[in-house]
Amino acid sequence: MVGNRPEGGAQFAETLEMTEQELVQRKDFLEFGDADVKALTGVNDLARRYAGSVIEDFYKHLLSFEDTNAFFKDPQVLQHVQNMQKEYFLRLTQGNYDLAYTQNRLKIGAIHERIGLPIKSYLGMYNFYLRAVATRLVEAYEKNPDQAWSVFLSLMKLTFLDIGLAIDTYIYSRERTIREQQEAIQELPTPVLPFREGLLIVPIIGLIDSQRARQLTQQLLTSIRANRAKVVVIDITGVQSVDSRVANHMVQTVEAARLMGATVIIAGVSPEIAQTMVTIGIDLGRIATVGDLQSGIERAEQVLGYKVLREQTSAHVA
Amino acid sequence: MRAPILRQGKILIATIQGSLSDADLLQLREELATDVRRYRSTGVIIDVTLLDVMDSFAARTLRGITQMVKLLGAISIIVGIQPDVAFAMVQLGLTLEGTTTALDLQDGLDLLHRSQEPSHHAG
Repeated sequence: MVGNRPEGGAQFAETLEMTEQELVQRKDFLEFGDADVKALTGVNDLARRYAGSVIEDFYKHLLSFEDTNAFFKDPQVLQHVQNMQKEYFLRLTQGNYDLAYTQNRLKIGAIHERIGLPIKSYLGMYNFYLRAVATRLVEAYEKNPDQAWSVFLSLMKLTFLDIGLAIDTYIYSRERTIREQQEAIQELPTPVLPFREGLLIVPIIGLIDSQRARQLTQQLLTSIRANRAKVVVIDITGVQSVDSRVANHMVQTVEAARLMGATVIIAGVSPEIAQTMVTIGIDLGRIATVGDLQSGIERAEQVLGYKVLREQTSAHVA
Repeated sequence: MRAPILRQGKILIATIQGSLSDADLLQLREELATDVRRYRSTGVIIDVTLLDVMDSFAARTLRGITQMVKLLGAISIIVGIQPDVAFAMVQLGLTLEGTTTALDLQDGLDLLHRSQEPSHHAG
């Protein structure tokens, strides 16, 4: 179990909004009806007979590919998943394709996603399954190919329902990862560094959105007060892009700092950001901007009246 | 509540309290004008540390005081704007254009003294 992620099929069903109604809709869309249930339960005996050989072929196929083989290195694991697979194989023809069934499918999908099985392999496995079963059906209903065909169609509907569920869990997990990463980016700490007496340096790295900008402003204004700063150099070298809202916010921050008696110098304006600012018409006329952090610090020292002298002119380090 | 005006040498210090009505503000402007003339002050510091809200009227009046003091030949500095107040002000567009600001009373006094030295620093 990893963290507090929802693990059970029921919880998954909840987060994915899988309800009775949703299930009915999905079945309707696949035109999966009572006739299909009947057709599938009708071949349960047949499935029992062939389960062993289908599963065997199935894993022979899986293990012959490096991609999928890697997941079944451990013989114990292999045995376990083979049993699970057999169970699933039989489950397909046992009827009762209800909410509990979908929850179970969601759970299995989540497990596959978590071990990192690619969707292409997942789909490939279903494909192999359908083909293997189709062959068996044709053999079994040699005298009645229509029957074989209709059972196969029913099975295809059901497996497509299952595939849909599995892909949902994959998408859900990816979305959750993206969300978590976005949160992590937003929580990137923005340190406010006292550099000299009365001089703060604020390096900003990564993505700035409105929320982070607001947080930054608050932190900056509080730090000006706490450190009795007179000059603040904000280094935005590490910022890839700025939109108009954030740019406006930056202007406001500079103005607010001025109201508190501090001068803000913005350093490291990239050519892209400079162009953006001009294009969206942000007036930076009242804001001191410089190319890089070094110039920013030099400008700040000048404002504060610092003079930095090198003690030895020949202090070259090899 | 009226804002008391303290006098320290050639400098006047007005401390604005948290609950200052519009009438109090106007009275402050009047008193400051009179006092700058009367004491021949060279600098005025308006301390707004206790102010937790700055509305447009207060901001306009403060700007007015600054301009008025300048006309009387003195310098005024607004000190002690709190971080939250500062940000709220710029969001409302109250940027106190043309006024000098400082972090607190001490910085304000430093600034005044420096600007009145015969050869003061640039900036």
